[in-house]
Order: sequence, then C-alpha cells, then structure tokens
Amino acid sequence: MDALSQLYLPGAVPVWAALVFSLTALWGWSLVLRGDESARPFARRAYLFFTLSVLLVAAVLLLALWRRDFRIEYVFQYSGLDLPFHYQLAAFWAGQKGSFLIWLVWGALIGLGVIRTAGKRAEPAVMSLYTLTLIGLLFILVRENPFVMLAETPADGQGLNPLLQDDWMVIHPPIMFVGYALGAVPFAFAMAALWRRDYKDWAARAFPWALAGFLVLGCAILMGGYWAYKTLGWGGYWGWDPVENASLIPWIFGTVLIHGLYLERTKGRFRRANYVLATLVYLAVLYGTFLTRSGVLADFSVHSFVDLGISGWLVALMAVFFVLPVVLMATRLREVPTVRNEDPLLSRGAFLVVSTTTLVASALVITAGTSAPLLTRFLENPGQVGPSFYNRVNLPIALLVALLLAVVPFLTWRGEALGAVLRKLIWPAVAAAAVAGLAFALEVRDPLHLLLLALASLALLTNLQKTFRRAAAQGIGAAGGWLAHVGVGIMLIGFLVSSAYDASTKVTLEQGRPVQVGDLTLTFTRAIPRQGQEKERMEVEVVRDGGSTYFAYPKLFMNDRTRQVMANPHVRTFPLQDLYISPIEFDPGRPPGAPERVQLAAGETFEAGGATVRFDGFEVRSDEGSMAAMAALQRGGSITVAAKLEVDRGGATATVEPLYTFAAGGQVSAPPAALPGGGSVLVSGINANDGKVQLDLVGLPSQATGEPARLAIDVTEKPLIQLVWYGLYVVLFGGALSTWKRLRQSRRLDDEAAAA
Amino acid sequence: MTRKARKTAIYSAGSLLLVAFAGFSLASFRDALTPYVSYDEALGAGGRTVQVAGGLVAGSSDYDDETGILSFTLAEPEGSGTIRVDYEGLKPANFEEAISIVAIGHWSAGDAAFRADKLLVKCPSKYQGAEVKEYG
Repeated sequence: MDALSQLYLPGAVPVWAALVFSLTALWGWSLVLRGDESARPFARRAYLFFTLSVLLVAAVLLLALWRRDFRIEYVFQYSGLDLPFHYQLAAFWAGQKGSFLIWLVWGALIGLGVIRTAGKRAEPAVMSLYTLTLIGLLFILVRENPFVMLAETPADGQGLNPLLQDDWMVIHPPIMFVGYALGAVPFAFAMAALWRRDYKDWAARAFPWALAGFLVLGCAILMGGYWAYKTLGWGGYWGWDPVENASLIPWIFGTVLIHGLYLERTKGRFRRANYVLATLVYLAVLYGTFLTRSGVLADFSVHSFVDLGISGWLVALMAVFFVLPVVLMATRLREVPTVRNEDPLLSRGAFLVVSTTTLVASALVITAGTSAPLLTRFLENPGQVGPSFYNRVNLPIALLVALLLAVVPFLTWRGEALGAVLRKLIWPAVAAAAVAGLAFALEVRDPLHLLLLALASLALLTNLQKTFRRAAAQGIGAAGGWLAHVGVGIMLIGFLVSSAYDASTKVTLEQGRPVQVGDLTLTFTRAIPRQGQEKERMEVEVVRDGGSTYFAYPKLFMNDRTRQVMANPHVRTFPLQDLYISPIEFDPGRPPGAPERVQLAAGETFEAGGATVRFDGFEVRSDEGSMAAMAALQRGGSITVAAKLEVDRGGATATVEPLYTFAAGGQVSAPPAALPGGGSVLVSGINANDGKVQLDLVGLPSQATGEPARLAIDVTEKPLIQLVWYGLYVVLFGGALSTWKRLRQSRRLDDEAAAA
Repeated sequence: MTRKARKTAIYSAGSLLLVAFAGFSLASFRDALTPYVSYDEALGAGGRTVQVAGGLVAGSSDYDDETGILSFTLAEPEGSGTIRVDYEGLKPANFEEAISIVAIGHWSAGDAAFRADKLLVKCPSKYQGAEVKEYG
C-alpha cells in the first residue's frame, strides 16, 4: 500500500470504493442465498455501484492521460507530450496496472449481463462466484494503485514505447481483455451449478457466453497475428511466444468447452466433463496471466515483463480458483447424472469425444512447452523450447483433427456403417486427392504435408457441402458450426503452405541498379524523407516476370525520442501469395566529392582510395601529462587529443596524427592533416565511451565518384498465407451464427421460467 | 467380438494412442529444449542448440551486405566474458536499445562465432515500461 499523500485521490478513492461495493454485493447475494429475497435488489444495486466505481477509475485515468498529468506516475511512464490522442488511449493499457484495469472494466460490465441471464434462482450463486473472480483482479489494483504520484511533476512523460505506437495497439489489447473477462463467466455458471446441486440449466445459460468468449478471443488472436505480420515485421503471424500462447491456450480450451456444451445440450453427454472444461478455460486465463506478468519468463520471451510484485498474488489467485473447483467437483461430481457412453465408433458422439480429447492434448502440450522454463527450473541449465517443438507436436494433432472433421458431416448420433460413410466420401476424396496431386506437382514432397493437405481439403469440402444442405433446410443460422469447420480446413491449408513453403532471400540493392531475385526484378529507386505524419520510407520498384509492376514502400525510420530505428515491412497481396519486403539496413551513401566518414575503434583498419588507415588510439597532447590537461579543461581551458593513425599507401607507411582540440566552452577545432600521396584527414568526432574515433577523409581518388545509397532487404514469398486470415474469418463468422442461435435458446429458458 | 470386448479394445487403443502421443511430445520437448548456458558452456556444447544472454557491446554490431549476416558482440551479464554472435535474419527493430539480448543457436568453431537462429530482444515491452528515473 502506498501512503495516502502519494496517491492521486480522485482516482484512488474509486478503487477503494469499488472494493467496498463488490464486498457489499457479495454479502447481499449471500443473504439472498440464505433465503432473504428482499436482499436481491440491494445486491444488484451494490454490484451496479461497483461497476460505476470501476468505470470512474477508468475515466479518471483516461482524463489524466488526456490532460497529460505527469504527476501521476503511470501517465508519466507511458505517455508524453508528443503522443497523439489515440496513442494516449493505447497508453491506458500499455502498462501492467492499466491492463488489469481494462480487464476489470470489461469484467464488471459483463457482470451486468450475467445478472440478466443467470436465471433468478441461480443468480446469487453465479454472481457471488463471478464477483469473487473480479475481486481477485481488483485486489491487484488496490495493491498496485495506478494513481501513485511522483514527488515532483516532470515536464514531459517518458513516452510510449515506439513499437506500441501502432493503430493495432489501440484496438488489440482491449479486445483481448474482453475475451479474458468472458472466460470467467462459464466458470462461474459451472461452479454455481455444483454448489447449488442444480445441474440442469447451467449449460444452456453458459453456452452463449462460452461462444462469445471463443469469438472475441479468436478475434483478438487474429488481430494480434495480423499486427505482428503487417507492421511489426516479425516475418510471420505466429511465433509461439509465451504471450501469444497465453491467449491461444484458453482459446483451445474454449473450443473444447463449446463442443462439450453442445454435446450436453443435444445429447446430455459430457455433463461431468463440462465442469472440468469450464474450469480449464478460466485457469488457462489465470495461468497465462501469471506466466506473462510475473516476470518468470523474462529471459525467455520477446516481450519482457518486470515483476510488479504481484506474482505472489497471482499464484494465490490461481491456488484459490484451483482449490475451489477441485473441492466442489470432488464432493459433487459423482451426483451429476450422466449417460453411459454407448456410442458406436462411427457416430457423432464418439467423434466428438475423440476430437475434444485431441484438442485438450494439444492445449496441454502447448502449456507444457510454454512452461518449459518453469519445468526445467531445477535442472542445471533451465531452458525453453522453440517453435520447432510446437510445430512438431501439433502436426499429428492437425492430421487427426482434419481427418475427424472430414468424416463428421456424414455421421449421425446413432452411428453409421463404414461402407455407407466411405461411399459418401468418394467424390470429395477424389477432389482432395487432386489437391494433393497438384501440390505434388508444385514440389511438395513431404508425405505428411501431402496427407495434411489432402485431409484439410477433404474437411473443407465435406463441411462446405454440409453447410449448404443445412442452410437450405434450416437457414444459415443453423449451420454456424459446420461453417466454422470449413474455416478450420481453410486455415490448416494456409498454416502449412505459408510456413513450410515460404522462400526468403536477402539482397542489398544499390540505388538505381535493378537486381534479379527469382522471378522478380527489384530496383531501389529512392529514399523518401518524412512528410508530416508519414514516416520515412524506402521506395523499391518490383517487376514480376511477365506480370505487374508495383512500388513497395518498406519503412525504416528513427523514433525521435528513443533514437531507435524502427522497421516496418511492406506486404503486397497477390491471389496466391504475399510478397513480404522487410528493410534490414539503409546506407545513405555519399555524393561525389563529399568526404568519406568512417568510425574506427583502436586497432581497426579502413581502406579507401588505395590507402589503408589503421587507428592506433588516442594520445593527449599536453606538456604536463594528461591529468594536468584534464585539470586545465575543468578550469576553463582546452584539451588537445591526437588520433594516432598508421597510413599505408602504395607500400609506403607513414604516421599521421590529426589533432582534436576541445575547449571547456564546447568549441571544437580539428584541423585536417595531410595524407601521404594526397588528400587529408581530420577528426570529426570522438566517442569517449567506447574509444572510437570518427574520421573524415577528403580528396581521395575514390571520392570523385561517390558511393550510391544502398538498401538491404529481405524478400519473402509467402504462398497461400491469405488462407490463414480467410479461414479464421470463416471460423469466427460460423461462431457468430452459433452464438446468436444459442443466445435465443437461452432466452427461451427465461420465457419458460416466467410462464411456469 | 462381443460388444464389451469391442469396447475394451477401443478404449485400450485410445489409451495407447494417448500414451504414444505423450511419449512423442516428451521426446520432442527434450530435443527442442535449448538450455540457458554461460559463454564457456556454449563453446563446449559441441554444436548443440543453446541460448546465451548478454548486453550488446556498444558499437560492435555490423551488417555485412554480401553475406546478409548481422554480427555483434555480447557481454556476459555476470563476469567479463564476451561472445561474437552471427545472425542471419531480420534485425529486431529495437536491437540497439535492448537491455539484454538472448541469442538462440549454436557455437560454430569454424566461424569462431555463435551462430544464432533466433534473437530475443528484451526491451520495454507492451505491458511494462522502462524503469522509472528518479526525480527530485
């Protein structure tokens, strides 16, 4: 806790108020649970005030960011005077505290919807548990108050990390936290059902929430991948980084949960498993938060996370929400009525069991990989696993999932005969084999890759057929699930082809000179200086053999505040591939006649115009020694340093010592020293930190021509990468259709309850 | 086959598959594990993929146009060792500003350099800013 005087009270007080109101709501619902129906409006109102307090906290922080109130440490750390407004908004969730706050804001608002959909009888139990999850988050903000003030008001903030000054940063994290917040809802429903021993209705009521969580988290993952691919220039959309995995694992568990809930709703199966699955979704959210926020992976992640001192609290939070469901399940799960598994092998039921098991295995393996630094902590050399691990273990998973998806449209609940299924599969299988044959003709030789391509195409086709049939019979609203499967087939093809068959070339382009790379002719035409908001860009003309010509504009620019060089790729989408051009290095060259500038550390040599120059170090020129010279400088005098150069030209060696005089007032004089054989050299700068000298060489024969500007780029062809995005769009659209359908069903429950 | 026997067979096959997958995952995990080592250990690791961390020695980075290799020197966080790293990939955007760089790769005795396949650059991240400077 921070001393009161160090806190900005307009923001800090609502934080505490939120805690008081949330505890009050909890107390109110406990009264309702004990039969005091009159406490219900009281509890609801307390929850409403809790939500308003949280919104007030967020509003105060937003206002402080808008006013650029640098007294507040958080505002100082993440914003600056030069930051445009929409990036001030991004600064809201750029830090740990703000991102927990935005999570809490969504969580509180979602709670208002949970009250309305929980059903009158279940509401107090569901809301008690749900509020408990929010109190867990709120505690972090109480401990690490975002409104800590600095002793003095700085003139300017530290600014936002330039990597985060991106439009995706404005939209991606808040959506991610909506997904995280939604993860707690099915959990609260499931635990409340166990607690109240009312095992019947919760699945129907939690179903739309689970679907919404799947949908929103999927959108957030899509945006994150797109951000990484299009602007961050990571070269791909997915790097299996812990931060990315922290959103993927709950999403996979969420996928399993919606299938489990579907089974329970349609066939009454998975009644027990769904409690476990709902718990896994929420625990995965908490565990991912712990991994990425506690600093435990700081040495292993692209994103670095400094421990705020909350890792202990996050562990405690996980412990609570692990023990609670375990105790509830241990005592109640046996009572939950269940149906014995009598499904024949070729039935929807059996396939759902196998596919959910497969996905759980995938999620667990990804969890283990992400946790590698923790799991190997006690070994002599703890380590981590790279993308190769995830790709390898998920290949058999992808194969199995594709196979199951391909067959499932032809199955029924009661089971089918193998021959009948195979007969229906004939035509799609012929088409899928044709896809594999085409891939073989295009140099795909790995048998597993060919198999995956064939199975994914098969899944795409059979599910597409099913989608059309279902839509024709019952309307498109009933075909959401099948449509999502189509998307998975598309995505699998995109994943495989774009990652395993991309072709990358590095090339350095001299300005104005075309270079042939594969079937591309690349010409670096010019560097375009900054114009207003538009950053510095490079212009590269790209001519495709027998095809189109276009200009690519990869960006390579310096951030004004941090002086760090930022690179943004240029991506051009063609029907069958993306052409991804990343800038690596830009050398502005030297106009004819201009001095040649070079930086040398002691012992390094440099060659120019037939002369070899070696820098042998500095020597202070003073009759009384260097100490006396330093003292003279401090008294307001000057100091003279000679750069000792060994120049070798045409076999003749000479020592040249250009001087550099530095006066206390900051005046510098550096007269040129003649080089043997013509030309001269002068010291244009000294870097005292690393002992480097900067020399300007003038009048060398090589300078008459100058040197052209050069741009080093990486050119990568990413075949079929568009399918990853299209596939995910289809999955999410299918998910949206299902969400709508299940929401209507859940509403019907309320109507029935009202009628009864 | 009776119904019960058939069911047992299916369950055993399923369990067997799961066990096989677990074994496969474990083997992949061990293969892919890149341990964190000191520079001396990296030199002695004999081509095994490992990871080393350190601070970038100021002014030591150089990009070679011809080979497309970025070379730089890392200084061991504890101790005074340094290691030359060659990296053939895209230079991370915040490379020069990094607090610390993690290089994943192997020691190549022929090049007398650590050949990195991947670089992790620790920088002020999306969720956590730099240390606060002291004011007042």
